[in-house]
Amino acid sequence: MTVGVLGAGTMGVGIAVTIARAGHRVIVRDLTTDGFEQGIANVAGFLDKSVELGKLEAERRDVALAGLSGTTELADLAECDVVVEAIFEDEALKAKTFGELDEICREDALFHTNTSTLSVTAIAAGSRLPERVVGTHYCNPAPMMKLVEVARGQRTSDEAYAASVSFLESLDKRVVTTADVPGFLVNRYLVPFENDCIRALEAGLGTVESIDAVVTKGLRYPMGTFRLLDIVGLDIHKAVSTSLYERLRDPRFAPPPLVDRMIAAGQLGRKTGEGFYTYADRKLMGT
Amino acid sequence: MDVEMKTVGVCGFGTMGAGIAQVCAAAEFDVVVLEANEERLALGRERLSGFLEEGVRRGKVSEEQRDAVLDRVRGTVDVGKLAACDLVIEAVVERAEVKAELLAQVAGVVRRDCLIATNTSALSVTDLAGAVEAPERFAGLHFFNPVPLMELVEVVEALQSSEQTLAALEQLGRRIGKHPVRVKDRPGFLLNRVLMPYLNQVVQDYDDEIASAEDIDAALRLGLGYPMGALEMLDMIGLDVHRHATEAAYEQTRTPSLSPPPLLGRMVAAGRLGRKSGRGFYDYEEDSK
Repeated sequence: MTVGVLGAGTMGVGIAVTIARAGHRVIVRDLTTDGFEQGIANVAGFLDKSVELGKLEAERRDVALAGLSGTTELADLAECDVVVEAIFEDEALKAKTFGELDEICREDALFHTNTSTLSVTAIAAGSRLPERVVGTHYCNPAPMMKLVEVARGQRTSDEAYAASVSFLESLDKRVVTTADVPGFLVNRYLVPFENDCIRALEAGLGTVESIDAVVTKGLRYPMGTFRLLDIVGLDIHKAVSTSLYERLRDPRFAPPPLVDRMIAAGQLGRKTGEGFYTYADRKLMGT
Repeated sequence: MDVEMKTVGVCGFGTMGAGIAQVCAAAEFDVVVLEANEERLALGRERLSGFLEEGVRRGKVSEEQRDAVLDRVRGTVDVGKLAACDLVIEAVVERAEVKAELLAQVAGVVRRDCLIATNTSALSVTDLAGAVEAPERFAGLHFFNPVPLMELVEVVEALQSSEQTLAALEQLGRRIGKHPVRVKDRPGFLLNRVLMPYLNQVVQDYDDEIASAEDIDAALRLGLGYPMGALEMLDMIGLDVHRHATEAAYEQTRTPSLSPPPLLGRMVAAGRLGRKSGRGFYDYEEDSK
């Protein structure tokens, strides 16, 4: 198959790796030549590393790289059987892009949107053929994470859904199917849980350390909530949480006031050297 | 209370009591387990042997360790036999009046400096402290099931608990190989306070047919790295147990996310309690899932 991937950011690159190493031809489209060239270099770098680590046969990498190309033009995606959109998380922009692809792609091409918090139905409405639009939410890092959430929009056809599931299974993914609900499954359960932990901290029910101990030693989750939030970044958490809250109006999704205070204080997490925890490299930056 | 603890009393030889007795005996405490009658005592001992045999089979417990633990755990039906204890941990049925009556009896037979703890998960530790003479020596010690495997223990601070009592219980927690965290006496304490709304949300979503049970659990395991999905976990906990706990927390807080979703009550009414009844969100009779 020939697959177009829109966007050469972290997700676009991860998705391109996943698809290319399964033996499909991949065309990466980014807005600038620098953008897609960097993206292709990152895909190649990841595949080389996989070969080095003995996780991928050299011939498979060579096939993947031979089938990999880049472009700035949507028009170059005319031959694609599937187009996976992994551009900026903006509903209008995603919808408009699918509308433009209608004029370029065959009518039987599948359109996949890798949104994590937006409505698949609203994005699909940008296409004349919304029945071919399917939500396919990859987890980061896409090449390593087995899970893909498939969300059926209001008008997604049974055929497009079934073909998308087969395609994802050919990439060695475990597909879970959800309705087109805000946050699908993973973010729908993670984000309010994180907010509940932040509220428990605000309420003095525990400390950063004791709540993380409850999460890692009591629930045996792989990482404490506050460690995870520091990695994600408080600003990103707030954006995701707010976006889900605006669609759901469920108070558990609303970012607690402590998040705003920490953002105002520049305590965004690892990237600023301080969040719920303080990181040693901050001191290095200060000296 | 720097008295060197040597003897731990455990009230109740059910799943939690047997687990608590095991971890205390494994840490070289002498353990006295109190039960209501000889029959329950025998059942409890079987339970304890069962845990230990399983440990031996998995290579986690040596045969010597198994024998040593069984040697150190004595059973009794006479509350007076708890008189020599340095600490008594109450782990009987989750009913306030039963616990209060027993705790008052225990307080009447032990020394005045003997620590007394309750393993309640749904009742107020402060309320229970009211039943204990000299309540500053009383606090919650909330273990998780299965006790030998779960590293966390919540040390719950009743309004009456003294700092020495809490510190001594934290020290005990570390000595039996657990990670103690100190928590307030609020509904759900800490772990259940953050766990229950999540479980309730997943149950409601399942009832709303947002996804299948298998897909919800796979998303949680593979997407978030959780050791098990929410619905598998509920089947393990028991739907009746979760419903009781979340209902109790809801009644005290009126927090909507703690309110049990209607499906829970219906499943309990239908006898679908989870693993223990052979069926919950999954069917355990037809296959081994």
